[in-house]
Amino acid sequence: MVGGAIAWSQRQSLTRSQGTLPQGAVKVPAMAPMNHGEMSHGNSISPMAMLRDFDRGTVTQENGRTVREFKLVAQSGELQLDKANKFITWNLNGRVPAPTLRANEGDRIRVVFQNKGGHAHSLHFHGDHPANMDGIKPVRNGQVFVYEFDAKPFGVHLYHCHVEPVTRHIGKGLYGMFIVDPPTPRPPADELVLIMAGYDVNADRKNELYAFNGIPHYYMHNPIAIQQDQLIRLYVLNMIEFDIAATFHLHANLFTVNQTGRSIAGGSYETDVITMGTAERHILEFKYHETGKFMFHPHQDFMAEAGCMGYFDVIANA
Amino acid sequence: MAAHYFYKSGFHLMKFLTFTGLCLAGVSLSLLAACSNSTPTTQAPSTSTASVDHAGMSHGKKININNALLSELDKLEAKLGIPALSNKIQSSRPYGKSEDLVSKNVINQAQFDQVKEMVTIEEVVLTGEAKDLDYMVKLGLMKGHMYVAKELLALGKPDQAEPHIGHPVEEIYADVEAQLNERGVKEFKKSLMALQELVKAGAKDKAKVDAEFNTSMKAIDGAIAMLPEAQRKSPKFVIQVINGLLDTANSEYGAAVADGKIKEVIEYQDSRGFVQYSSELFKSISSQVKTQSPETAKKMSVALKDLALNWPTAVAPAAPVKTTQQVTKLVKEIETSGQTIN
Repeated sequence: MVGGAIAWSQRQSLTRSQGTLPQGAVKVPAMAPMNHGEMSHGNSISPMAMLRDFDRGTVTQENGRTVREFKLVAQSGELQLDKANKFITWNLNGRVPAPTLRANEGDRIRVVFQNKGGHAHSLHFHGDHPANMDGIKPVRNGQVFVYEFDAKPFGVHLYHCHVEPVTRHIGKGLYGMFIVDPPTPRPPADELVLIMAGYDVNADRKNELYAFNGIPHYYMHNPIAIQQDQLIRLYVLNMIEFDIAATFHLHANLFTVNQTGRSIAGGSYETDVITMGTAERHILEFKYHETGKFMFHPHQDFMAEAGCMGYFDVIANA
Repeated sequence: MAAHYFYKSGFHLMKFLTFTGLCLAGVSLSLLAACSNSTPTTQAPSTSTASVDHAGMSHGKKININNALLSELDKLEAKLGIPALSNKIQSSRPYGKSEDLVSKNVINQAQFDQVKEMVTIEEVVLTGEAKDLDYMVKLGLMKGHMYVAKELLALGKPDQAEPHIGHPVEEIYADVEAQLNERGVKEFKKSLMALQELVKAGAKDKAKVDAEFNTSMKAIDGAIAMLPEAQRKSPKFVIQVINGLLDTANSEYGAAVADGKIKEVIEYQDSRGFVQYSSELFKSISSQVKTQSPETAKKMSVALKDLALNWPTAVAPAAPVKTTQQVTKLVKEIETSGQTIN
């Protein structure tokens, strides 16, 4: 095995930030920093850290405009999915899912993409951009391509490799979320990213394992601590290949659905199960008034049982 | 990173731009002019707000600092008179904008000001050796895929052959299409796709599969034959092609092995095909290499033979013959040995 994942600590040191979350009165329970928790299987990625890890790029001003530059390197790596399955990933910056890129609407986005993965890869962003930045042209091993476009429209988007077979390139791990914030900031909230994915570990074009944020069953063993009565804003993406759709279901609560995050006003309706086709994504908002542990999972229960489930642990207000 | 030293070899090929695409999209008269007279031009990312554009359309040949060959970067080295600058530019990749040459301490601002009109990070139209190399490596990768596909078909394993017939269409064809058109090569995507469909369906009609396979293979060979003979027979050129193929083989083999096992058969087989074709290419120039340096010829030949041992069969062996580190080392040895050849 060559390449391998970039160590978590190393990745953390990459230049980023500027522009901060609307943290106002948001209460986020303390999380031991760098705690990979149980079930990390020695992986260098941490689904716990990924939850609230937003890569805002390296920010510069060019001719009066905000430019956010992101560096993404495609390579291969290993991920221990469970005790029995070590999976060879194709990843960006050592992460599956890839970094959550975040910008404000109208920012100039510059993605420096370097392919060290062997196969040809590309980065195709959802959202508006010119045809020559659509990322369907393969970038050969050893090459660099700089994608540049305006961040628009605001909402929850994604990016992924678009080289065929796309099922394999995405299934191996070349996908991530791309959040474009609206001109008027959304109200302060504890913001979390959850990406559902499937793993076809034996190349039979069916998924044997599923996961939120890369590692199956992780949040069952490492519940996500959230604060009682705190507004939670989930950015949820279904990136499961081979299965037509998956739902997201939350226990003992309802959430509002803001489709593709395209509304500034917030969600348009309430439910506790939302159906998403592959690549569909929404903002879901809710608060828990009760304390304790509450599950979340697709209600395709075979997916949940095969790794796509977790707990929120609602911490009482003092 | 395992592949990093290759950048020093000058094996970083620039991507090219679709002339036809540009012409069709042509909203700029100057650009249309560039298309019609083949003046190399860089591609400005079109944007609704011109203010952040990289100086708009630029005329004259620019050097893409992310992907240019060492021989092209040498123009900057010569202009500034800084020894080993080309290597330094390569080792500091990737660049998000030309100014990164300064922020990454490759050159200083005053030096940058002298060369800023010569450099870009945007796609450029390839010319000369870089263009030929880019073309040949892509076709070489196609051939490697086809070699291993043929073996697997002969073994009665169409399911395993299928991805290798798919890869030339899926990963490579779109990336070389413009050059094929430009060099007057008749399109062969349809043939590749027909072959893929036959194999996907189980390769039941052997005669039909063979016929389609031969059509595709002939087309690839025909495309290679469009390169000037001087290039195809130049040891220096062919060695750079071999380096490109072996670099890819090395990365793919790295993505095949985990825990001392071959976990991903597709990547094992991809890398087998690339190494096979590299060995064949070397044979075609070995006598010329020998004339220049018997020692180098021997070194390369021994290392290539040793490397090939890692892929004893098209069907992956139960245990890997060599570790990924051993493969990387041999690939590096071949690359280093070949540097002295002209």
